[in-house]
Amino acid sequence: MTRDFGVVWEHADRLVEGLLNTIILTLVGASLALLIGSLVAILLMSSSRPVRLISQGIVDLMRCIPFLMLAYLAYYGLPSLGLNLDNWTAGLFAIVVYNTAYMAEIMRSIWIGLGRESIEAATAFGFRGPRLYTRIIFPQIFLAASPMIGNQLIQIIKDTAFLTIIAVPELTHAASSIQSQYFVPFAAFIAAVLIYWALCMLVEAGVFVVERLAEVRR
Amino acid sequence: MTTAAFLSLLQGAGVTLVLSGAGIALGVPLGLLLGLIRWGRVPVLSPIVMVYVSLLRSTPAVTLCLLIFFAIPTMGIDIGPWTASVLTLGLNTAAFNCEIWRSGLNNFSPDQLEAARSFGMTPALRFRRIIFPQLWRACLPGLVNEMTLLIKSSPAIAVVGVVEITRAATRIGAQTYDPLPPMLVATGIYIVLIVVFVGLQRLTERLYGQAGAAA
Amino acid sequence: MVEHVGSTNPECVLDIRGLTKSFGTNVVLDGVSLTVERGKTVCLLGPSGSGKSTLLRCVNFLEKPDQGSIYLSGRRIGMREGGVIPMSTSELAQARARIGMVFQHFNLWPHLTVLQNLIEAPIHVQRRSRDEVVAEAEMLLERVGLTDKKDVFPNRLSGGQKQRVGIARALAMKPELLLFDEPTSALDPELVGEVVAVMKTLAEGGSTMLVVTHEMGFARETANEVVLMDGGRVVEKGQPSEFFTNPKTDRARQFLQRYVSA
Ligand SMILES: Nc1ncnc2c1ncn2[C@@H]1O[C@H](COP(=O)(O)OP(=O)(O)OP(=O)(O)O)[C@@H](O)[C@H]1O
Ligand SMILES: [Mg+2]
Repeated sequence: MTRDFGVVWEHADRLVEGLLNTIILTLVGASLALLIGSLVAILLMSSSRPVRLISQGIVDLMRCIPFLMLAYLAYYGLPSLGLNLDNWTAGLFAIVVYNTAYMAEIMRSIWIGLGRESIEAATAFGFRGPRLYTRIIFPQIFLAASPMIGNQLIQIIKDTAFLTIIAVPELTHAASSIQSQYFVPFAAFIAAVLIYWALCMLVEAGVFVVERLAEVRR
Repeated sequence: MTTAAFLSLLQGAGVTLVLSGAGIALGVPLGLLLGLIRWGRVPVLSPIVMVYVSLLRSTPAVTLCLLIFFAIPTMGIDIGPWTASVLTLGLNTAAFNCEIWRSGLNNFSPDQLEAARSFGMTPALRFRRIIFPQLWRACLPGLVNEMTLLIKSSPAIAVVGVVEITRAATRIGAQTYDPLPPMLVATGIYIVLIVVFVGLQRLTERLYGQAGAAA
Repeated sequence: MVEHVGSTNPECVLDIRGLTKSFGTNVVLDGVSLTVERGKTVCLLGPSGSGKSTLLRCVNFLEKPDQGSIYLSGRRIGMREGGVIPMSTSELAQARARIGMVFQHFNLWPHLTVLQNLIEAPIHVQRRSRDEVVAEAEMLLERVGLTDKKDVFPNRLSGGQKQRVGIARALAMKPELLLFDEPTSALDPELVGEVVAVMKTLAEGGSTMLVVTHEMGFARETANEVVLMDGGRVVEKGQPSEFFTNPKTDRARQFLQRYVSA
């Protein structure tokens, strides 16, 4: 068994490369999803009932689809529509589309609990349009939503593992390739599991720090 | 898409449902056991369960499935893709269910247990007659919600070759060189499945309140 | 309602004419007219539900009036010149920035420090230079006695301190008019004094203020004019000395009996 872990250690560079891909996919995917999700949240909170119903319908529908299904649609399905993405980009695309729905829903849930007072004050002081959102509304939402956004980040990290099925060279894919080459399944996958664990704990530590910041800003 | 293709997608849906059901049947009671160990602060076991829950909650189902499918045979135990799949889904969901059961147990008022104890009930009797009948009602909405998440992560088992919905769809796509239609139908099947489960969750919430959903 | 054309008294900062507002069938403002002259403080009194808050909210169009017109320093608010076409949201925002508002529940921005609360709108709405705004904000904080709290977040302040920040935040916009909606009624009794003191120095320093309040002491000592509202109408206005000692209407007498003796 120690010999197996030795084999994995010799190929640690492959794991590191996979880990980097996992991290990049997670961070870029989450940031884009948060950005687009913010815009969708504005639709979810629209004063127009049709806009609200339609956007909520789409968001709810998106949340009924398994992530791998969406990745398949992006990778195998989009070419039928004339859009050819390589596997890495297709994976990122799926992460963004999938998580936009979740981020929008997270922001909506915080938004409806946000006191109207501070927004009303901003309106009375002449804030409107994009600046009202970027200066007053979203900062408060992000602070309050940090635990939920953190949870979603952990979910994204785990979802990236699905992308091994469309051969994206992420962490599980790296572990898989080491195991199939040297037949060290236990060591290879346990190494991957421990790295995922560390990654998720890092996210939780980050949430803890943001929570301390948010506490004084309520 | 042909009728045969559609039928094979339905067959995939059957596989998804059977394996998910088996995973739930394994994961719900196991989660209760783990939750009781944590709640009762059983020495030695409780910290182990804590680590298990933390570890499993951050392990992707795909990675867990590969680990089980490839590593267990090296210990001399023969295991097929179906068994590996049920173990994956069950062990994974058990970690989340543990937290749901535990929060239900933590919400239990100490007075009731005190009363039961004063009537001379044994711990086993207390659990069976007093705790469990109330506990499962409080936890049901949370558990059903977790079942929905399990269905959504079930495509992970495709990685060891189980022909569930997603794999059935890619297969048809590979045969017909037109992957979009089977994938859209597969997506539709998932939407139906999940909508049913979300409906179930709403129903349990209405029937038994939301206490267990807070996990 | 006939539209009064022609400019008003140039000394009039706020001129409200024939304002009406209903929520559904509930007529909340029923033809309110009111003026506030430059440098004067007008106190708006009235029982709960008489429409005072609604009137203030209509002044900066947080609530859209049904009829009537509002002029700020001779310029129409909410409608473009001519009174037919509504202002665009950006015109409305510019108009609102000329009016400072102090809220009953402070409505500070919780994610910003005290100093940041003061400089937020001057920088991002009025687009003034940061250095200038910060220097001014520091002076304002000194005036309300909160220099040592400038880097603190609002939730670490007492109610009285929050409201003084609220006032300083409104002043930082250099508004032509200050609106106060019951600025002390959410405060513990022992904290009312510090806020009233700040408002008094403002009134004496020549700010133009329209104040909804139940602090009769403030109205009696500081106001240039007192306006009593009831059921969405102005029922009496006058000098505080007149109003408090010798009210002309029965309604005013009843009101004073209830609120001043209490
Ligand atoms: N947004 C709204 N929608 C419906 N009705 C409203 C709304 N705002 C105020 N009202 C109603 O208008 C009436 C006057 O309210 P307003 O807040 O202006 O009174 P007020 O004089 O400020 O009373 P208070 O002293 O209690 O603050 C009340 O009957 C209130 O219920
Ligand atoms: Mg009011």
